[in-house]
Amino acid sequence: MEFKEFYRSLEVDTSLADELNFNPYYLKISSGLTDPIIIEGEEYINLASNNYLGLAFDDRVKKAMVEGITKFGASMCGTPIATGYIDIYKTLEEKFSEFINVEDTIIFPSGYQANCALFPVIAKKDDLIIMDHFAHASLIHGIRSTGCKFRPFLHNNMAHLEKLLKSSNKYSNIFVVTESVFSTEGSIAPFDEIVNLCQKYKAIPVIDDSHGIGVIGKTGRGILEEKNIKDYFGIYTTSLGKALAGAGGVISGKKELIRALRYSCSGLIYSTALPPPVIQGLLKVLEILKEESVQILKKMWKYKKLISKTLKEVGFKLAEGSAPITSIIGGDTKTTVEITKALFKGKILTTPFVPPSVPNNSGKIRIIAGANLKKSSIDQALDFFKTELRKQFIK
Amino acid sequence: MDLEKKIIKIIEENLEEELKVTLKTDLRDDLNIDSLSTLMIITALEDEFSITIKDTDFAEIKLVEDIIKLLKEIHPELGEG
Ligand SMILES: Cc1ncc(COP(=O)(O)O)c(C=O)c1O
Repeated sequence: MEFKEFYRSLEVDTSLADELNFNPYYLKISSGLTDPIIIEGEEYINLASNNYLGLAFDDRVKKAMVEGITKFGASMCGTPIATGYIDIYKTLEEKFSEFINVEDTIIFPSGYQANCALFPVIAKKDDLIIMDHFAHASLIHGIRSTGCKFRPFLHNNMAHLEKLLKSSNKYSNIFVVTESVFSTEGSIAPFDEIVNLCQKYKAIPVIDDSHGIGVIGKTGRGILEEKNIKDYFGIYTTSLGKALAGAGGVISGKKELIRALRYSCSGLIYSTALPPPVIQGLLKVLEILKEESVQILKKMWKYKKLISKTLKEVGFKLAEGSAPITSIIGGDTKTTVEITKALFKGKILTTPFVPPSVPNNSGKIRIIAGANLKKSSIDQALDFFKTELRKQFIK
Repeated sequence: MDLEKKIIKIIEENLEEELKVTLKTDLRDDLNIDSLSTLMIITALEDEFSITIKDTDFAEIKLVEDIIKLLKEIHPELGEG
């Protein structure tokens, strides 16, 4: 192919954004996650970030990060297996394992990378991986890279999962992969039932708790606390960049698994370790959560309930989930982006999900209200839902 | 149950929503099928008929009746029952 032709083939279809004169993606934000946030010099109520607990701009976390820089500098310029493994890296692994109650943990530069890097280590050609239909792109990416048999099951459908497990006795190892909180709609996996099915059919469960950690469970310790799962024998992964307000990813589980990953996971061994300030910040977040999670979560849930109650009263169809995520069902891509645009014009920032992030004609507008938001900001958003948004979209 | 009915039942069982499927149903336009749904249907067909189907065989499929044609083509024994 001629190089011009090649670059032409990469062209992105922006016709809808052009038609609506609005592109909700790559908005340039010029503040931290404060309330309000600043975009192009204007103030917005932020109902878009995954800053569930509102710790991303917390003074104590910022101070800890500065201490991390002062002591260790900007970067260790090495992968964890080489010079990247500072003492606080190990401390974070230990504190995280203790936080979710598993044997051991290893930290990756991102959650996406952790999910991608995991499967080539654990799955072999004659294994089977069964995954929830709506699981995250990073899990699909990791699973597909193994070349082993891959079977999706219907979203959160235990009868379908069991049917697949029942007919799977010809495989060497079987893995059952899912997410705790499905982030486009806020549904929570019946992970206790999945673990039981795995036990029955001798499969290994893999859970991605990216939107659950810090958020679900009585004290915010994620899916294992939420579903009261003790002595977890499976694999746990999460992003550290959402409620925990840092960056990075985690794989946790049995000591043998983590030891194998430390020495044979190429996505870990050949990638520069998280920088020291991020690690120091995450340690502070875990410390804060030990003391304050119940109180912070109370505020987060209060906001979530107010938002979904109001939107329902106004007449919007919502994706019903029990996580602190409220998603307006927009349907087709155009309507989904139009609703997002109307909210944006009302100085409210939300996240639209359109295909391929969601199935065709299942566009959603996701709303997450962090515990850092002022009650007056929530009230202002609710007022907008009841007036302008109703006028434009509810017939 | 004849081949057509069996295949329609398998497709219906592998959809997230309850939708009516006929021979003329378009997998993408009527059922909003994505690549993982397609994989679910392929693997369910493999289970049901103890056959192997390549993803590439499925690439040209548009309507439900195309699946029946394809299966009869790559596994003629299925059409005989
Ligand atoms: C379920 C899930 N897994 C993994 C990731 C990736 O994590 P990270 O952003 O740390 O790469 C995300 C989101 O970004 C996610 O929502």
